[in-house]
Amino acid sequence: MRRPELWRTTTFRLTLVYGAIYSAGVMALLGLIYASAAVFLTQQMDQIVIGQTRALHGVSTADLPEKVREVQTQDVRNVNFYGLFKPGGAWIAGNVHVLPSDVPPDGVPRELREKGFQPGARALEERLASGEILFVGFDAKVLSGLRAIILSSLIWSGALIIPLGLGLGAALSLGPLKRIGAVQQASLPILDGDLSARLPTSNRRDEIDMLAGIANGMMDEVERLLWAVKSVGDNVAHDLRTPLTRLRALLYRVRQEAGVDDAHRAMLEQALSETDALLSRFKAIQRISEIDRRERRAGFAPVRLQALVEEIGDLYGPVAEEQGLNLVIDAGRAGESLADRELLFEALSNLVGNALKFTPPGGDVRLTLTARPEGPRLEISDNGPGVPENERDAVLQRFYRGHVERDIPGSGLGLSIVAAVARLHDFRLVLGDAEPGLKVTLDCWPAAMTH
Amino acid sequence: MTRILVIEDDETTAREIVAELSKRGFDVESVSDGRDGLVRAVSGEFDAITLDRMLPHVDGLTIVSVMRKSGIDIPVLMISALTEVDERVRGLRAGGDDYLTKPFASEEMAARLEVLLRRARTQPRETMLRVQDLELDLVKREVRRGGREIALMPTEFKLLEFLMRNSGEVLTRTMIFEAIWGYHFDPGTNLIDVHLSRLRRKVDAAGLEPLIRTIRGSGYALNAAS
Repeated sequence: MRRPELWRTTTFRLTLVYGAIYSAGVMALLGLIYASAAVFLTQQMDQIVIGQTRALHGVSTADLPEKVREVQTQDVRNVNFYGLFKPGGAWIAGNVHVLPSDVPPDGVPRELREKGFQPGARALEERLASGEILFVGFDAKVLSGLRAIILSSLIWSGALIIPLGLGLGAALSLGPLKRIGAVQQASLPILDGDLSARLPTSNRRDEIDMLAGIANGMMDEVERLLWAVKSVGDNVAHDLRTPLTRLRALLYRVRQEAGVDDAHRAMLEQALSETDALLSRFKAIQRISEIDRRERRAGFAPVRLQALVEEIGDLYGPVAEEQGLNLVIDAGRAGESLADRELLFEALSNLVGNALKFTPPGGDVRLTLTARPEGPRLEISDNGPGVPENERDAVLQRFYRGHVERDIPGSGLGLSIVAAVARLHDFRLVLGDAEPGLKVTLDCWPAAMTH
Repeated sequence: MTRILVIEDDETTAREIVAELSKRGFDVESVSDGRDGLVRAVSGEFDAITLDRMLPHVDGLTIVSVMRKSGIDIPVLMISALTEVDERVRGLRAGGDDYLTKPFASEEMAARLEVLLRRARTQPRETMLRVQDLELDLVKREVRRGGREIALMPTEFKLLEFLMRNSGEVLTRTMIFEAIWGYHFDPGTNLIDVHLSRLRRKVDAAGLEPLIRTIRGSGYALNAAS
């Protein structure tokens, strides 16, 4: 299972979105402050320009150049600009030597877009009664200072907010990420089939706890249902075996009675064999539960599989011969396997028994033991009808009988017993294609080792 | 007359055991409580015991281990509803001679008890087994019928030895599977039948009186009356 990446977590994304919205808000606020200040300052500058123009109105034409020089020397901030020009545009006095062309001489303040002035500077031109032209301007030093302050605030706050937001997002995400990791870790045994495992919860009662709680509730229900399903089978098997055994005893006794004619005897034989079939099926169901209930590794000891395989050959050789089949035992040298010898023999016996049952006369059944780097591998292959790929999982379930098996006697539980034994040992059991036929592979080492 | 003690607290099971064993000519006494069972078991009056694993007051395991500690070595057939493999091992380790799980067929129970009784009576050091004109030499690993040697595979030899040691007794397929192969699961009927029929072909060759008999619905017996 893959762990979620940090930057994909909800907390991280929420922190980022929050950071972006906050930054946009700060920018909008500063922009608004700047715009309002700019409007206000422009009005102020206009009034300053008009006021300074008015202050020169009462001065006579002859004194005007001197007066202009005088007000100019009083301007220590160097923001006021004056220019007195002849009607033809020639300079008379002031620190503006060329009459700016974009301001008409109508006495109305306008923005001055001349070189040497800050953007936003205001100025007006007025034609005096003498025909001379008076230029009065005010540079926008305050406004540009304000602009610089706001811009640097934006840059600085941005430089702080972005890494801070990312850092905060990551820090806030680590906690939930750790808990998700714990949930993931806790769910591994469940995926492995341990239905008693539960997800961890804290007493925070947050959304992770809520989801874990829901999942745990579902697990409780699944476990309960599974247990109910299993125990129904077990209980039925258990409860029916006693009366069935008695029924069988009765049938047996009746058959032994003198005076039973041949026709009735045959019917009794039939009844007895049907009862035996039922009993063996119930026994098999109980056997599966018994194996499933067993404590893992309780009776495990090192088992030499070579001996086990040879024993199987000895047990089933005559059966194969009787059926006109060729049972090939190929027990290569393979190491030991930690297993329950009797259960492993039972599983192998079921597999070989099954293979012999489904292979037509003249066919081959092959039991091979090979040494893999991880441990011993058992393979049982036949050239019977095989199991279609889509039925392979199902045949390991209880009672499932494939399309070709229905006419062949048996409990239909042989492979389920094998599956239960494999489960107990954590051995991998794979049904494959022997082309043609069925190939069953049993890897006799704990599957957890190869994960 | 052979005396059997039945220690079983389930009334129906006890009745079945008593009926089956009485029918076979045993003198049977039944006890339903563990304490009484222990007192009777160590009394020295019986030849064999069928012992339920779970009993009121004193359980079956305790009874059998007390018996063994007191030097009483009569055969004990443990009977239990506990099917787990470990339970069987525990029962046998405590001193039980055989272990049968409930529910069981009465004949199976009786057959097992008879085999146990038989084993207790015979000399274990016998090296030559004889049934009519069939001879099995355990030292030379040879089998002869009417003086003619029969070649047997090792498994067939073991099978015949088991049949001969218990000649006249009915042996169920499960008993045969347990005795020869040592496993305790249900191997299916066909498997044992195949082995028996091969042995039969060698032992009861054409023209000879058949010694291995199939007891329908139960199992096999060597030289048994039908």
